[in-house]
Amino acid sequence: MRASFVFSEVATGLRRNITMTIAMILTTAISLGLLGGGLLIVRVIDKMQDMYYDQIEVTVNLTNDISANDPNCSQQMCSTIRASLSDNPAVESVIFENQEQAYERFKKIFEAEPELVRLARKEALPASFQVKLKDPSRADVIVDAYSGQPGVKQVNDQGVFLERFFGVLNGVRDATFAVALVQAVAALLLISNTIQMSAYTRRTEVGIMRLVGATRWYTQLPFLLEAVFAGLIGAVLAIGGLMLAKVTFLDRVLEAPIASGIVPRIEMLDIVLVSPWLLASSVVISAVTGYITLRLYVRH
Amino acid sequence: MIRLEGVTKSYKTSTRPALDEVEVDVDKGEFIFLIGPSGSGKSTFLRLLLREEVPSKGRVYVSNFDVAKMARRRIPRLRQSIGCVFQDFRLLTNKTVFENVAFALEVIGKPRSTVRKVVPEVLELVGLDGKADRMPNELSGGEQQRVAIARAFVNRPLVLLADEPTGNLDPDTSQDIMLLLERINRTGTTVVMATHDHSIVDSMRRRVVELQLGKIVRDDKRGVYGVGR
Repeated sequence: MRASFVFSEVATGLRRNITMTIAMILTTAISLGLLGGGLLIVRVIDKMQDMYYDQIEVTVNLTNDISANDPNCSQQMCSTIRASLSDNPAVESVIFENQEQAYERFKKIFEAEPELVRLARKEALPASFQVKLKDPSRADVIVDAYSGQPGVKQVNDQGVFLERFFGVLNGVRDATFAVALVQAVAALLLISNTIQMSAYTRRTEVGIMRLVGATRWYTQLPFLLEAVFAGLIGAVLAIGGLMLAKVTFLDRVLEAPIASGIVPRIEMLDIVLVSPWLLASSVVISAVTGYITLRLYVRH
Repeated sequence: MIRLEGVTKSYKTSTRPALDEVEVDVDKGEFIFLIGPSGSGKSTFLRLLLREEVPSKGRVYVSNFDVAKMARRRIPRLRQSIGCVFQDFRLLTNKTVFENVAFALEVIGKPRSTVRKVVPEVLELVGLDGKADRMPNELSGGEQQRVAIARAFVNRPLVLLADEPTGNLDPDTSQDIMLLLERINRTGTTVVMATHDHSIVDSMRRRVVELQLGKIVRDDKRGVYGVGR
């Protein structure tokens, strides 16, 4: 196989169908860019889960009676619950927070909103145990065990709120993948169409090649490489686009939540790590599409 | 070199077979004319040799190839040992004379050094030395056919198939092309030429195989185009 010959054929083919080539590259780039975006969201979710996982606690709120009358958790009902929680093998640590402390914390959290602080009554805030678990995913055990126990008003698993939050992120991720898939179908059809056009415009050459005894590889590899080459350029554009989007858009829009540690920053490294997948998908998709097209539509 | 044994080729679209129980044996280095009216089966005959078609019945041999039975992936090997020339030349209009001939070698993977050595030789053989850099549209019909012959012959095939090679040429130019085919035949290449051209067949006095409605009606060692026609 003479590489120089095949490559000059590929170059000619791409140049001859320049508008189709550009359409093919752009569609592929958009599709892969979305795929990359989806993969980045996956990475962000993973990072956030790591970040939040350690901090998840179960809050056991105590009844109004205890909250109002037992600020040190010295009476029997409260101390029984504390002892039971401390002895539970799933629990790592238990901290008691009385009504006064809860109110102080509330004031601190809503420092910026004095209206809200003014309206809040200390008596409305329950005393509670902040329970840290050895395995935060097993919070339901504690919730089940202590809900409805005497002295317990309510058991809240922070993980539930977090899950709802991640649910939204997962939805965004899935939507991104779905759009990427639709774009991928468009890219696929364009690749197939471009190859057919390419084969048609070069039917004389291909006819002569067949006649003088060129092998299937020689007659069809240029078409296949055309598709793969366009796919690779699309992938490179997609990666460049993701990097550009990070620098010019994401970093700015998410500046505040990143600074306060709510959302992890998307690093260049994340994009670099996602890139091989984009390159590989572009090669596999274009090569497979090209091969099938040649098999189905182009007579050897 | 070429042998057809009881070859019948029917197409679905036609009730009469294109070739009907054809028996032909062509020796190495022979020059034969394949004559007959349009639709008599000449083209099918040539296409069978190239394995563009497979016979409905019978066997086709070219050199050591059992053409009808061979595996698809071996077809390129068969075609590399057969050269082809057509009435319409079939040159690549965007390539020079040199590139057109070189193309036939490049696509079967011959190294560049071979191409650079062999192409000028064959261009000289067909009388086109000095025109290597011309484009096909700058050449006369006869010259274009010479390029096509050069391309067919550049890989030194065992067999040269010519389908009406003089069909688009004036009588003088046709004579020149025939001289060229004769010269190629003298190198030991078997030549099979399908034609309608009376004067050429009559003047060459070579073997003539005549087809009519898919049957061989005549096979003369030193024939003319038509007796009493």
